[in-house]
Amino acid sequence: MSSFSTLTDAELVRRCRAGEPGAWDELVERFSRYVYAVCVRGFRLEEPDAEDAFQEVFTRIYTHLDSLRDDSALRPWIAQLTRRVCLDTVSRGKREQQTENPVPEDTPADLDAIEEAFTVREALATLPEQCQDILDRFFARDQSYRTISEELDLPAGTIASRIARCLGKLRNELEGRSEPTSESRE
Amino acid sequence: MASESYLDLPLDTLLDRLAAPGAPGGGSAAALTVAFAASLVAMAARCSEGWADAGGVAAQALAIKDRAVALARADAKAWDRALSALASVGPGGDPRRDFELEQTLEHAATLPLEIAELGADAAMLAAVASELCDGAHRADAVVAAALAAGGARAAAHIVEVNLGVREGDALLARARASRQAAAEAAQEALDSGR
Repeated sequence: MSSFSTLTDAELVRRCRAGEPGAWDELVERFSRYVYAVCVRGFRLEEPDAEDAFQEVFTRIYTHLDSLRDDSALRPWIAQLTRRVCLDTVSRGKREQQTENPVPEDTPADLDAIEEAFTVREALATLPEQCQDILDRFFARDQSYRTISEELDLPAGTIASRIARCLGKLRNELEGRSEPTSESRE
Repeated sequence: MASESYLDLPLDTLLDRLAAPGAPGGGSAAALTVAFAASLVAMAARCSEGWADAGGVAAQALAIKDRAVALARADAKAWDRALSALASVGPGGDPRRDFELEQTLEHAATLPLEIAELGADAAMLAAVASELCDGAHRADAVVAAALAAGGARAAAHIVEVNLGVREGDALLARARASRQAAAEAAQEALDSGR
């Protein structure tokens, strides 16, 4: 874990602008999965196009970071940039191939799901490690109560309640988050 | 009909399909029983406004339900393959064919094991719900525990009788432990519901 990994998005943006070594790497690390997921799952880009779009998004972020009006709105700004780049890629592909290749109708729903998944992931990262671990085991790795109980050396009968309490903390964290209001001029 | 789509059928047609020869069979029925149980737990939790952990219990129940439905589909496909493999067995020994058959059967046993473990989870969650949910829905939670234990017991039986599983296999021990855990949780729920 880098020294930047605990920074808020706004603090990270300020460090990137100041050119602090390691800040840009952290920004890429923090958002690379998200950008790639939008390219591949949201817009169904093929591998080479997805990689080009990925590079283009981070080039634009690097070039236009100064135009971000609200540093805390980094993620919605990156989301907007990524969508534009993906739409450009899709349009370019249609022109070049002269074939029907519309963006799938379920794209907005997919994008919402990706947004939601990353919001949950961010909120999850703020929970105590034990909570992160037990929620990951049950919901992401599909482990049974028995397996969790054995691997964490906890009574099996308490696992469901522990998970429920951790979910309560996650809900509180998600409910405490406010939607960013402004993005950028880009 | 392909096993991928049979869960999209209306309930009465699905039951007719279950009554017909071939897949889906007992494993899928056990998985669906666990799914029914998990859905009941989710309902009991969602109807319990005064219970602080209700949301967390409902979320777990829905996750179990989704897994059970996926297992019902997967088991139908695996059973189909196992039936085909058994039907292809002819007279005389063919080591390679016997090995492939054993692999197919062993795979067919891992899914009922997962169903048994999921049934145990559903029963334990139902036991928690039967104790803490709103009184008006306690009976639903108790029914869920009983159904889940039934699903776990049925799935554990399928593991026990699978030709690819031998006494002493870890699979068998886990299946039996799940059956036991589910039965204890269901008994706890039944006792608390009286």
